[in-house]
Amino acid sequence: MKKKALTGILALVLVAMGILLWWMLPASEKVDFSTQIKPILNNKCISCHGGVKKNAGFSLLFEEEAFAATKSGKPAIVRGNASKSELIRRLHEDDPELRMPYQKPKLSEEEIDLLTQWIDQGAEWGEHWAYTLPEEVPVPQPSQEAGFLPNTNSFVQNDIDPFILARLEEHQLAPNNEAAPNILARRLALDLTGLPPEQSLFDRFSSGKLSYEKYIDSLLARSSYGEKWASWWLDLARYADTKGYERDAGRSMWQYRDWVIRALNDDLPFDQFTLQQLAGDLLPDPTIDQLIATAFHRNTMNNDEGGTEDEEFRTASVMDRVNTTFEVWQSTTMGCVQCHSHPYDPFKHKEYYKLMAFFNNTRDEDTWNEDPNLYFYNSSENAKVERVKKWVATYGTPELASQYANFLTFKEPVYQAHLSENFVNGELADTKWLALWDDGSCNLNNIQTHGATALYLHYRSRINGTTMTIKQDNAEGEVLANFTINKTDGNIIRKIPFKKVTGKVHLYIEANNDQIPPETSTSAITWFAFLPDLPGKRQSGYHAIERDFLELLNVKASTLPIMVENPSYMKRTTQLFERGNWLLKTDTVHPKTPGVLNSWQETWPTDRMGLAQWMVDKKNPLTARTLVNRVWHQLFGRGLVATIEDMGTQSDPPSHPALLDWLALRFMNEHAWSLKSLIKEIVLSGTYRQASISTPNLFEKDPENKWYARAPRLRLSAEQIRDQALAISGILSTKKYGPGVMPPQPEGVWQTVYNNEQWVESKGEDKHRRAIYTYLKRTSPYPSFLTFDAGSREVCTVRRTVTNTPLQALVTLNDPVYLEAAYHLAKSVHGKETQLAISEAYEKAIYKKITPQKLAALQDLYNTSFARFENDEKTVKEFLVFEEQASATLAALTTVTNAIMNLDEFLNKT
Amino acid sequence: MKDKLDKLVYEKVRRELEAQTRRHFIKQCATGMGSLALGSLYLGCGFPKKKEEKQTGFSERDLNPLATMAPPFAPKVKNVIFLHMAGAPSQLEMFDYKPELLKLHDQDCPQSLLEGKKFAFIRGTPKLLGPQANFRQVGEAGNWVSDNLPHFKQVIDEVAFLKAVHTDQFNHGPAQLLMHTGSPRLGRPSLGSWVTYGLGSENQNLPGFVVLTSGGKVPSAGKSVWGSGFLPSVYQGVQCRSQGDPVLYIEDPKGMSRDLKKSTIDAINTINKAEYATYADPEILARINQYEMAYRMQIAVPEVMNINNEPAHIKELYGIVPGKESFANNCLLARKLVEQGVRFVQLYDWGWDAHGTAKETSVDIGLQGKCQEIDRPMSALLLDLKQRGLLEETLVVWGGEFGRTPMQENREGKTQSYKGRDHHGDAFTMWMAGGGIRKGASHGRTDDIGFSGVDGRVSVYDVNATILHLLGFDHEQFTFQFQGRPFRLTDVEGEVIHEILA
Repeated sequence: MKKKALTGILALVLVAMGILLWWMLPASEKVDFSTQIKPILNNKCISCHGGVKKNAGFSLLFEEEAFAATKSGKPAIVRGNASKSELIRRLHEDDPELRMPYQKPKLSEEEIDLLTQWIDQGAEWGEHWAYTLPEEVPVPQPSQEAGFLPNTNSFVQNDIDPFILARLEEHQLAPNNEAAPNILARRLALDLTGLPPEQSLFDRFSSGKLSYEKYIDSLLARSSYGEKWASWWLDLARYADTKGYERDAGRSMWQYRDWVIRALNDDLPFDQFTLQQLAGDLLPDPTIDQLIATAFHRNTMNNDEGGTEDEEFRTASVMDRVNTTFEVWQSTTMGCVQCHSHPYDPFKHKEYYKLMAFFNNTRDEDTWNEDPNLYFYNSSENAKVERVKKWVATYGTPELASQYANFLTFKEPVYQAHLSENFVNGELADTKWLALWDDGSCNLNNIQTHGATALYLHYRSRINGTTMTIKQDNAEGEVLANFTINKTDGNIIRKIPFKKVTGKVHLYIEANNDQIPPETSTSAITWFAFLPDLPGKRQSGYHAIERDFLELLNVKASTLPIMVENPSYMKRTTQLFERGNWLLKTDTVHPKTPGVLNSWQETWPTDRMGLAQWMVDKKNPLTARTLVNRVWHQLFGRGLVATIEDMGTQSDPPSHPALLDWLALRFMNEHAWSLKSLIKEIVLSGTYRQASISTPNLFEKDPENKWYARAPRLRLSAEQIRDQALAISGILSTKKYGPGVMPPQPEGVWQTVYNNEQWVESKGEDKHRRAIYTYLKRTSPYPSFLTFDAGSREVCTVRRTVTNTPLQALVTLNDPVYLEAAYHLAKSVHGKETQLAISEAYEKAIYKKITPQKLAALQDLYNTSFARFENDEKTVKEFLVFEEQASATLAALTTVTNAIMNLDEFLNKT
Repeated sequence: MKDKLDKLVYEKVRRELEAQTRRHFIKQCATGMGSLALGSLYLGCGFPKKKEEKQTGFSERDLNPLATMAPPFAPKVKNVIFLHMAGAPSQLEMFDYKPELLKLHDQDCPQSLLEGKKFAFIRGTPKLLGPQANFRQVGEAGNWVSDNLPHFKQVIDEVAFLKAVHTDQFNHGPAQLLMHTGSPRLGRPSLGSWVTYGLGSENQNLPGFVVLTSGGKVPSAGKSVWGSGFLPSVYQGVQCRSQGDPVLYIEDPKGMSRDLKKSTIDAINTINKAEYATYADPEILARINQYEMAYRMQIAVPEVMNINNEPAHIKELYGIVPGKESFANNCLLARKLVEQGVRFVQLYDWGWDAHGTAKETSVDIGLQGKCQEIDRPMSALLLDLKQRGLLEETLVVWGGEFGRTPMQENREGKTQSYKGRDHHGDAFTMWMAGGGIRKGASHGRTDDIGFSGVDGRVSVYDVNATILHLLGFDHEQFTFQFQGRPFRLTDVEGEVIHEILA
């Protein structure tokens, strides 16, 4: 009886629960595809039905696939009729062989209900939020209730805050108090300039003489702003001072780093910033700066290892450019699509190669010299350049004038030695230089000579008396050039008379020198170039111009690798690679952007410039969202979309979707792509100004600080930690720009094969430059930066994972640089009464008054240390190697400042 | 105070774990490396399970990312010592005996073998080069080994050979990356990083993943072969050096005594505890822990790196050269490190790139020299591990990034002054020894001249899958979510090589 009663009660409860459920989930409520259905499909179905695998011919990746007939001949989803849909039937199936997901746990009732309702409602396919345009959203009005929450009134400082407040309310959280001015001063200075504030500026702000906004303006106006934010951008741009791979030789890239710093300081609007880096070379009459910007995509690695095939690594670079462009501007991982359609996101395999086609027509070919390079002439050389340009413009066509100007600016187009083939008695030496021996020959096919009467040859030789003959087609062909090669002083560019031929020709190249032993290279040729003849041959002054031109070509100028587009006669076709293998080429493809994103405007050129315009078109749903999300992440340590790498269907949903869209639109429209305005707006918010003080209770409610009921507390970056130590001890150099510097690092850190480059310690103030100027060798980055999570910049880095390790403690405790900084800080307060000295040193470092408890701890340390050093002059001298007047008191104080510079509050932004 | 804090953190983590499904976890791994970077987030990323789940261990991992974790499956070994011969040793003068090749010495290589193949330096038609060493069958299993390795004959029955390993990379840098990170391009975590990420380390006073180099150079691919890629940098290999500080900045500055350092760290931690009381951020607790660990490491690292205190017979067994960087020293160090509970010890010995461009790089004289440098130490390592009972819980792996051609190198079409072989990825030899390995096994066979594998071919991915298997991981399940998708060491490849498992 009892049992029966219980069953009855249970039945009643179940019925009640059912009613409750029905009430909670009324059938009429429309199921949302993006937020309710897509996540189920992605997590439970798509690994077997979509992307790589399409089991039973069924895929849920694209709409047309989801409703198409499967292998059974029938579609798995029948719109408007869940009971007739095989998909639903299989979810309920009892036979484990038939029940889906196969060999995985059954879907929950809620999930099956949702899918059923969705199909019954017509199975409307929707788009993921990130692929639709940001929506115009009104700024939320704080509810009545919110006004009663503590701090709310003073919390709202600008339009960002109501968005934050709305979600705080939902989670029953109240914002924190505003942080004290001294805390805000340090936080803002670190966030905006990467450095702690200068004392005078700090004093003016904390005493109220400078308003919060004026303080921000003052920081944003400093050139240290560009130096700080450049670190972020250079991670994305994979900037380094070496080429990477085995030999990892140095490369001269620093002009690009300096361009980034300047562009940020000038607040170059982000759309321009984008256009110039992706396609500056394709702007009409690009300036030198616009050409420098294109080095963004020359930060790809370059393989100099002997025996490597340049085409393989050229292809790797081109793919890296596709992947990096999409990671940087679109929060999208295209890497997957190299080999197959994206497993989760609506990007198709072929679309990858269509994107690749935009990038596949640049002149760079993984050659050791990193051509094309931009040449930087000095002023007298520039005067010559102008003379030559003027001459060609006067006597030739505008097109010819630009050909000559380009050749002086970046020496393209040229035919690189690695294009030569069919070697007889000769080889591509070290897979780099064309080296023919006595009686040697090779072919160079499909060469456009422009009907020129001269060939420009880039080569070097250690041997006299080689006769070189260039014939058309083969050994029996017409002689086009015949010249002697003698010893050269290093590499030279020589102008050699050449018989006029029209159209593309095959060249047959011969070398003869019977005075040399067999298998000896007669010369090492880097490239061949043909330019239409210099005009004005009959004019007086022609010979001087001809000489100037050749002299300029041979100038030893500093260089920077840049992007240069192929001329029409050198265009490559782009083919799909089967499974991403560059040797298995299939269908030919043409440049096109992915279908799921914004549409293409006919007025855009189908090249990198068009791609860049598409990217910064206001209809692109991802560019502005990506940027504001990452700037937010820089300031709060967390993105509004927490997966800052990815906004695709597997990403986290935005914590504040409305704010993300509002900021994205505002960034494009009101701020006209100004990064400084965006940053300013965010740091003006009450959200940013909160104290980072928390309680275990609050921490527990929101451990990741997703709802911003407090300011984040974040460890400083590798660069900031070093710069801060040097800054507060007064030894930081303010010198800007120029080649990477080599501050002291332990002996023996650099050991690269086949590379004799050395870490040569910088002298004078170069030892104490800002971290951004430190030479970055990819295979061996500056060790203490690596310890604090800076990367080696081999590939695009969207996020530096912040870690907390004992090796970090060893750096700030023992690295001589930090000891030197501690000593300088100690010295600046030495001579004062001990407690006062300690308090002042603490305040200089932390920008806070010391508490009695902390002072007591440091005073203890001082006493212990003083007792240790007192009457031990030898140890004092060893410890303070920097100081001639070393004393026990200074040594003890240095121990204390060393401890201060290891405090958590020093290493963190609070 | 500290106990309370620990308890608090532990409870927080436990609640989080209980509240969230595994899917949430996996997503969190990709997202929230921010405020609560260390600890709880990692737990859900891969599939390793925490030892003594739901006990106080959680707070330990929360504060210490190297805290020990148990693998998802019963492991055969706890530690790995990977001996990598950088530059690619010639299998044809060491383990892969090819009498037919000797008969064909100096004949033109058949065109059919060359078609569609790419070589780093060989051009045109090279000549076959017979083995430049004598071979014999030794041990109970009767495996072949050349006279270049006399000491190794004593331990050959401990070893299982893979005679037909292949790789699709034929340049050093990319091939080394493929071997150690599962991708020929940069940016992926290394094997050692995956393993320490998955298992933590047994010794909290030493780094969990130690790298030792010899031969005067680091491997071609540079430090990326022990990098942590997208895994947190705490899991990257720590290079311990023979000269200078064994670990960078491990030595106290001159004039700073141990006592004073202790006082310094005490003062720092006292203040940091006060800081925690205000900010309630567990990262502060983690930092307190790291400073304590740093202090202990300063003692433990120089101690373990000092091989002078080893007894004479051990020094002699390995043939160590005190005060110098040598493979012998590194083998002895490897034993000491795993004995102390270091999870993964990676040795790189540079100088195996026997192209024959000089005497040192010839496959006869030069290679004999290199073999002499490693023969005694690597044999001693196996013996020493065995006599200490450590071989049962340690996996020793030996190999290069690829092998060498049966043809004599004719760089740039020229005949070389010394006998050399070019890079060759089609077939090369590796061996493994230790727990879970079938002793005396030999898996895979190459054709008569050692050009290609004809039987039992295994890829570099298979080798990595097998190493992970022995450590208790399913290589297909051991993933890390990054850029919107799960990544694994073996990419989309790899099968466990059961033929060499006991």
